Amino acid sequence: MTPPPAPVKKIAVVSDIGGRGDLSFNDMGFKGGDEAAKAFGLQMVELISKSEADYVPNLETAAKDKEVILTVGIGFLLTDAMIDVATRYPDKDFAIIDGYVPDMPNVMSIIYEEHKGSAIVGALAALVAANYGYSHIGVVLGIEIPPLWKFEIGYKWGADWALKWYETKFGKPAPVIADTPVKERVLWTYTGTFSDITKGYEAAKAQIAQNAVAVYNVAGPLGLGLNQAVQEYATPRGLTQGPPFWIGVDANQDWINPGFVLASMMKRVDRGVYFATQLVVEGKFRQVVADNKGVVILGIGTTISGVEITGISVSTLADLDEFIQMGVNAEQLTGKKVLPMSPDEIKSKVSAMRSSIPSWVWDAAAELENAIRSDPNLVPYAGTQEVVDQWRAILG
Amino acid sequence: MLTQTSNRLAAFIRPITESAVAVAIGLIVGAFLMLAFGYDPVRAYAAMFVGAFGSTGGILESLAFATPLMATAVTFAVGVRASLFNIGAEGQMYIGAMAAAIVGGTILMPAGVHPIVATIAAMCCGALWALPAAVLKVWRGVHEVVSTIMLNWIAFWFVTFLIRTYFGEPGRAERAIPAVPTARYPVIGGTLTAVIFVVVIFCIAVTILLWRTGIGFELRLVGDNPEAAKYAGASGSRAILTSFLVGGLAAGLAGASQILGRPPSWTLYATLGNLVNLGFDGIGVALIGMIHPIGGIFAAIFYGGLAHGGRFMEYNVGVASELVDAINGIIVIALAMPEVIAIIRRRRES
Repeated sequence: MTPPPAPVKKIAVVSDIGGRGDLSFNDMGFKGGDEAAKAFGLQMVELISKSEADYVPNLETAAKDKEVILTVGIGFLLTDAMIDVATRYPDKDFAIIDGYVPDMPNVMSIIYEEHKGSAIVGALAALVAANYGYSHIGVVLGIEIPPLWKFEIGYKWGADWALKWYETKFGKPAPVIADTPVKERVLWTYTGTFSDITKGYEAAKAQIAQNAVAVYNVAGPLGLGLNQAVQEYATPRGLTQGPPFWIGVDANQDWINPGFVLASMMKRVDRGVYFATQLVVEGKFRQVVADNKGVVILGIGTTISGVEITGISVSTLADLDEFIQMGVNAEQLTGKKVLPMSPDEIKSKVSAMRSSIPSWVWDAAAELENAIRSDPNLVPYAGTQEVVDQWRAILG
Repeated sequence: MLTQTSNRLAAFIRPITESAVAVAIGLIVGAFLMLAFGYDPVRAYAAMFVGAFGSTGGILESLAFATPLMATAVTFAVGVRASLFNIGAEGQMYIGAMAAAIVGGTILMPAGVHPIVATIAAMCCGALWALPAAVLKVWRGVHEVVSTIMLNWIAFWFVTFLIRTYFGEPGRAERAIPAVPTARYPVIGGTLTAVIFVVVIFCIAVTILLWRTGIGFELRLVGDNPEAAKYAGASGSRAILTSFLVGGLAAGLAGASQILGRPPSWTLYATLGNLVNLGFDGIGVALIGMIHPIGGIFAAIFYGGLAHGGRFMEYNVGVASELVDAINGIIVIALAMPEVIAIIRRRRES
């Protein structure tokens, strides 16, 4: 008689109410879980939270399962539930994306340097404005909570950096946008929502009407509203690509409307999940948690306990395939059409758009990225109201 | 004598057989749905049942999901008893929850008193929100479905506005200020708190009101046969008003239960995501519970079991969460059917 096969170890991924199919934040978490499961011979189990009341029971269901070696909560909304369950299951390991749960031996909080990525897309937007002779760039944000300040100030700072870079490089101020007073160059709107797509549409429409060359999406699903505003401008004019553009967030969203998405500020939630799983598999999880006082920060050129791990990057043509696959998965899951055209057409449109923008724009972005790598404190980190007010006084 | 006993027995057995048949139909239709998508229905149902009721932790969690539904089911039931189709529990619950968060989160009081005061405030505000619909019905004949739907939306946006403008937690704009520890009901286990006892006592109290008092008799008489009620000198206006106010108290209590009696957040989210649909789900629960507050308690526990147990269908058997929702919906509809038919039959007769 053969003994029964050893049960497969599992990692559990608990979504926030965004659930599966948001094409950004939660889907990135599941993507990381999937990849880690494949790489380490684990099984990924998903727990979708339909309402806030599901957070605790979902986390607890995973924590109770003897085969689960790591439970990951996607999103800071799960913070309280995570503290509650992790306290009651001290022997189990947990990770939370975007949450801040310091000093618990069994919880790893994984947070991201979104201000640095935002600075790079801010620089890109400002130089694209200079290239096409636009007077403004824009950003549409969700509810004004502290985590969003990082995006706002980073973006404004990046735009300012880029216009100074232009002046140094070409020996003259950037056309049109440099004539706009410093404090008015970036149009910014807090919509007060992460779900009302119409608000995103209205805000983006107003910014485009004020001559914004690109609008940065810092409100998750509202990106679809931004896309609608851009498309509505483009269709009657027969445009096949931007300007105007919008800029994606979290995932690589360039494929959602190829040619009209300038780039995406990618927040690699997938890598965070993968990293935490790897640490558990290698038996280093608790040590790394202890070494970092429970909080690991992933960003550009960041190193965690000796391992380099990139959590923030600006989308490139090379990583488009990976994310087109995300759209294919979403189509299978929902049965609805998600991809706007065939993957090959998407790639050729994105590629055509990218090559129509002069290379000095992309070079500048790369230069800023290198500068950030060599000076981690280059981009201001706006974590408090005082710092935000201080930068708003300078950059508007 | 013998026929009387057997009639009574029949009256007792008939709804039970009806419910059993309804459960069977619901489960079978759900099973076919799962088979169509390639899942094993027996394993899935077993996972749901064991998950919901197979362990102490599971039972506590199912009861936590059931608690608010016991209360919102009363709102609908007490409406139907007065021949009303009151679907305003949703909005009245929002208002009650907001009141509970304000009293529980901004006022300091001793531990024993605080939850009671906050709960009463929530119930009164729930009843207050039911008043316009009652007044419109009694004095202007405005149909309660129209007025309560509108009031639900007004409540939704009003509470959203209050949270965003005045009662947001500093630095945590996604939710309102939480109830302070003195205002919280003690935790029994998981996310279940002692608020469940308050809700059960309230359901019993409403039962007594309906079947053991004059005002309750009047309410039921108006509901059963408005013409006869008028002839007997019963006041239709008073019955309708009572029905709305008791319903509002119940919905307000449901709201309070999610603020003062549901860890870990002890507050409402700016999206109202932890409250949305608890009022409407109460309609299904009331129908399953045969429009009776005590029946509603058991129906809510069943419904709570589906809400909590559903996750195990996904977790253990891999049934997609959307399909779990669909299956639960089918079971609830099947279970509610006998009462829906009974209500339609009664309406036809009168």
